Amino acid sequence: MTLFERVFNGNDAVYGLTEQAIDAAIAQHGEEKAVSFPNTAYCLPCYYAVTGVKVTNLKELKEALGVVKTLMTREPRLNDAFMSGVATALCAEFIEALKYIDGATPYEEPLYGHLADAVIRELGVPLVTGDIPGVAVILGSAPTVEEGVALVKSYQAQGILVTLVGGICDQVAEAGMATGANVRVIPLGKDVTAVIHVVSVALRAALIFGNVTPGDAKTLMEYTMQRVPAFVNAFAPLDDVIVACGAGAIALGFPVITNETENIARVPKSLIVQEDVSKFNATSLEARDIKIKITNIDIPVAFASAFEGEIIRRGDMQVEFDGSRVDCAELVHTVDASEIEDHKITVVGPEVDDMELGSKNSIAYVVKVAGKNMQPDFEPVIERKFHNYINCIEGVYHTGQRDMQRIRISKNAFAAGFRLKHIGEVLYASVKNEFEAVVDKCEVIIYTDPAECTRIRHEVAIPTFNKRDDRLNNLTDESVDVYYSCILCQAFSPSHVCVVTPERLGLCGAVSWLDAKATNELDPNGPCQVITKERPIDERIGEYEDVNEAVKRLSQGALEDVSLYSIMEKPMTSCGCFECICGIEPFSNGVCIANREYAGMTPLGMTFPELASMTGGGVQTPGFMGHGKHFIASKKFMKAEGGIERIVWMPKELKEFVADRLNQTAKELYGIDNFTDMIGDETVATDPETLVEFLTEKGHPALGMDPMM
Amino acid sequence: MSEFKMTTVEEMEAATNRLLETGAKVGADAWQFRVKNQTPHCKFGEQGVCCRICAMGPCRITPKAPRGICGCDAHGIVGRNFLKFTAGGAATHSDHGREICHTLYCAAEDGNYKVKDPEKLLRIAKEWGVETEGKDIYDLAHEMAEIGLMEYGKPFGYQRFLDRMPEGQKEKLIENEIAPRAIDREVSTSLHMAHMGCSSLPEALVKQSLRAGMADGWGGSMMGTEFSDVLFGTPKPIDTEANLGVMVAENVNIVVHGHDPSLSEMICEYADSPEMIAYAKEMGAKGITVSGVCCTSNEVAMRRGIPMAGNFLQQENVVLTGACEAIVVDVQCIFPALGPLSKCFHTKFVTTSPIAQMPDSEFIRFNAETAGENAKAIVKMAIENFKNRKPELVHIPDMKAKATVGYSVEAIVKTLDGVTNSQVDETGTTKPLLECITSGVIRGAVAMVGCNNPKIRPDYAHIELMKKLIANDIVVIASGCSAQAAAKAGLMDKSAKDICGAGLKRVCELADIPPVLHMGSCVDISRMMILAAELAKDSGLQINQLPVVGCAPEWMSEKAVSIGNYVVGTGIDTFLGVDPYVSGSSEMCELLTEGTRKWTGAAYTVETDIEKLTDLMIERIEEKRTALGI
Repeated sequence: MTLFERVFNGNDAVYGLTEQAIDAAIAQHGEEKAVSFPNTAYCLPCYYAVTGVKVTNLKELKEALGVVKTLMTREPRLNDAFMSGVATALCAEFIEALKYIDGATPYEEPLYGHLADAVIRELGVPLVTGDIPGVAVILGSAPTVEEGVALVKSYQAQGILVTLVGGICDQVAEAGMATGANVRVIPLGKDVTAVIHVVSVALRAALIFGNVTPGDAKTLMEYTMQRVPAFVNAFAPLDDVIVACGAGAIALGFPVITNETENIARVPKSLIVQEDVSKFNATSLEARDIKIKITNIDIPVAFASAFEGEIIRRGDMQVEFDGSRVDCAELVHTVDASEIEDHKITVVGPEVDDMELGSKNSIAYVVKVAGKNMQPDFEPVIERKFHNYINCIEGVYHTGQRDMQRIRISKNAFAAGFRLKHIGEVLYASVKNEFEAVVDKCEVIIYTDPAECTRIRHEVAIPTFNKRDDRLNNLTDESVDVYYSCILCQAFSPSHVCVVTPERLGLCGAVSWLDAKATNELDPNGPCQVITKERPIDERIGEYEDVNEAVKRLSQGALEDVSLYSIMEKPMTSCGCFECICGIEPFSNGVCIANREYAGMTPLGMTFPELASMTGGGVQTPGFMGHGKHFIASKKFMKAEGGIERIVWMPKELKEFVADRLNQTAKELYGIDNFTDMIGDETVATDPETLVEFLTEKGHPALGMDPMM
Repeated sequence: MSEFKMTTVEEMEAATNRLLETGAKVGADAWQFRVKNQTPHCKFGEQGVCCRICAMGPCRITPKAPRGICGCDAHGIVGRNFLKFTAGGAATHSDHGREICHTLYCAAEDGNYKVKDPEKLLRIAKEWGVETEGKDIYDLAHEMAEIGLMEYGKPFGYQRFLDRMPEGQKEKLIENEIAPRAIDREVSTSLHMAHMGCSSLPEALVKQSLRAGMADGWGGSMMGTEFSDVLFGTPKPIDTEANLGVMVAENVNIVVHGHDPSLSEMICEYADSPEMIAYAKEMGAKGITVSGVCCTSNEVAMRRGIPMAGNFLQQENVVLTGACEAIVVDVQCIFPALGPLSKCFHTKFVTTSPIAQMPDSEFIRFNAETAGENAKAIVKMAIENFKNRKPELVHIPDMKAKATVGYSVEAIVKTLDGVTNSQVDETGTTKPLLECITSGVIRGAVAMVGCNNPKIRPDYAHIELMKKLIANDIVVIASGCSAQAAAKAGLMDKSAKDICGAGLKRVCELADIPPVLHMGSCVDISRMMILAAELAKDSGLQINQLPVVGCAPEWMSEKAVSIGNYVVGTGIDTFLGVDPYVSGSSEMCELLTEGTRKWTGAAYTVETDIEKLTDLMIERIEEKRTALGI
């Protein structure tokens, strides 16, 4: 049988099952029964992305199946095979959707099933930065548990996001491997149809970041092929259904690597037979042109971005260091090159071996750097990366910053031989690797002697932090000569451009003006380029001729003009990976802000995913704007519309996060004390009427302002 | 992202019509008018039943006069004419190859011609069993040139390159008396057989036609191609442009035309020299633009990215632009009309080869020993002619398309290496292409070759055929004037992937190639034979089993018939859009469309309805697939 015939057979089989399932569901629930996946603004995302039609109930689902049937043409051409593959995927989505009827929870831990929109938005930044260099879809059962686990771990160690479908889910569970989104290993489900949940991620990425119009299947498939670095590893035996799913994957540009040798055709870069499962990793990366940034660090445990989200529970902990209880600090310190011995790592005080199991200790590490192009402004930029570096160590966990960091080292890591000097190795290698353009020499001193920690914290670190804060407070949009572009996201969102100013950080929250400056220094032709601001057009909304020119050039003409301080007039665009979104709330003349983590309803009648789906993809959407959390307390936050006074609602968690700085800004700008208390949250209201009542009671200034529309 | 847009035949025709208006102003003649004068064509000639090989005739066969004076019937007459036609083509291509061998013999470290691809020379030497160890590359070049030249007249044995065929094929050809012996011998034997009182048995005449063709394809042409690569470099992908719009009004325009790259390579070399550019500026021009017509153009486009002004039936158009300072020609397919036409303008019509001497031309005899001086004199002459332009006559159609050209077999294999996976695949083979074909992603390949012919709307057949083929996931390899038609239309632009079927589109994207691959000049159809042989060897099949066909929809020359014969002789079904003067004999028709199968596994299909021709090719490809169970 030819490859295409196998695809057609598999497609026919799945179509038949889908038709039966839908008919059975209609017989059971009636045609009007609602159908949806949880936590997505895109209905049945794959069907919506491909056709532009939103399916909401069983009747529509049945109609959709009729549309799917039209894709199933049978000429011996790749187009027919591709479309049959897509049809198979859509059928899988329908079958999976039926599992969620009546709010059912068909997947129990550790299985995920459908993934929420928020998960995709979180993937945006690491995917563009290469922190997640690829997405592996592993399907079926490995020849042995050991081989399966080894494969999953090999991807994990490279930072690749691994999704599992079928027998491999049981295999990793059997091996006791920790799984979950935080360690980038996501078991989706045991039925082959569960594979649609990762396809759904890829297609929603195209809608969210790529501004692909739902229904524009051609552009959709170009987007996934060019911008979503996914691939499939399918274990033998491959039946026709899997072959049909594979055709769908290949249609989207995702190569399939399999150890099946019977009755299977080979297609360069698309369908590759690799009999040796231990070579799946290398074969797959080459097939998808994925390059792994190699950071070879000589430590006894793994170092990979996949471990960034790993959590060490108290019971698993060997020791911890806690800046909130004892004196701790982390600091980058620029010194003269002659004062540094490159790659010298010193531990002053006791090692982990000398600390009691489960004890709380002091730690202060000073990373001394020197370089001809090094500037003190880059110190905090480098320092903020420590969190990321230390977290990438398997079995080590880091939160906080400056003198408030907390570090835990797990028993397993300790048993594997991990010691504090290895933190020094990690910091040294990472700083040298990432900041090679500015750091010529680097030395790390780790203090654990409590007296030394106290000295470092109070005599060295805190004065430095204060000095930096003074500098930062003086850094305003007016006090600098240039801004920076950030087009890091263009790999994903081709027409989006962030303009980063001292008072407005990138909407992902990851790129401040200083970060952008350092990035520009590291690579002048890279994602962050200098934008001058010499020819103002309108100071009120922050519009400049030179900024417009830069934006036009960097968006390849997609954007003509942009304002820095308005959400109503020419607002800045969003890529899709924004931390927060704000949208106007007409009843109160104000705006509501929702953060990505917030899963509930907002007074705008929309959840974060629904709000977020209205913007993104590099298009201007007046009235809605994606932004970073830290922008909320900025004096430039929607300055053109009156500034932070307009904020009427935020989720409680976000409100607490920004309270101190927001209150300070409100005090400075309007003389209002404890402004955050006037702002509603989900405990107060999730509908506009109750919110306005609350605002009236609190005397919120927005009520008295001019309408925004 | 801008949508891919082709240049249509209608647009090209409009541009030609505009140029003919200029022609009318200066009283120029053009092929369009001469075709009218020659129509209707002689029916006897068209059917191939007119015999002029002795002085008893001419005899022409009609129902009332079914035999010539000697008693030869229509089948014998048509067969002899077909063989003579083939011999003319085989002689022409092969003589071109001989010239290249001679140029290689003249190559010297400090000479006009150098060995630009020594690795290829070493590779061929190894194939031929010539000792290379410790030998100076020029000594080796001369030795190889001599061996090559001996292939034309060696008393015994078969063509050396037949060893490149898949196992068993050479033996089968020998068994069927189709394996070519010395090249000149096959031409002579053909002429001998077609002499009065020799062969009149159609089967024998067709067999010898195949053998003469094979002497061309696996002998003279292949040497022409291989040694041109050694001398001038093996082509690799390079970007260029095609159509008259490549000529630049402000520059001195030199157009090279013909087939032999020895001349044009030198012209390009000198036109690019600072000395000549400075001289051009001195003479009031902004620079020098060399562009090409016909296969010389293909040669320099493939190796230097020199733009292609047009193909065969566009040769008069370049003069009609009024902006052509010199049209410099070597051999083959040159209209004698260029002489009188050039007199209507300031254009210098420069002939250079003793093989192609014409009235109303300036003859600058070109030879390998004095190539540099000759080329310099020609470039200078063109520059000095710039001032004689008549500005009121200058009109260059604003029409050109992007093209990526230069797909020699070596370049194709290298491109295919790019889609291998080092964890599972070997490199240096055609296997990735075979995998695409076996899996059905690509259905097959069509070799599009041949000329233009006023009997077919110029370029229309080439372009329409290719469009339909690529839409059906059939990859096209093209050479000669067919390749230029594709380039002019935009089919060699990588963006043309957008009008392909999903399979070919994906392959174009992954391999970063256009869907129609430019393999060179008409001599370079030998490259296609090598590719077919490699595909067969890498798949363990015979060439005639591959889902691959050849097609010459607008052919016109004797060379084309010779080519057709070696393509069929190699085992590749060949589809023609113009009848090769054989319709007067049912036996010849049967032999050519079916009879040859028993010797080579391939035959001709003639279909003048272009739409049907395409469908027949697709059908044949699918039949071959079915036979292989893929």
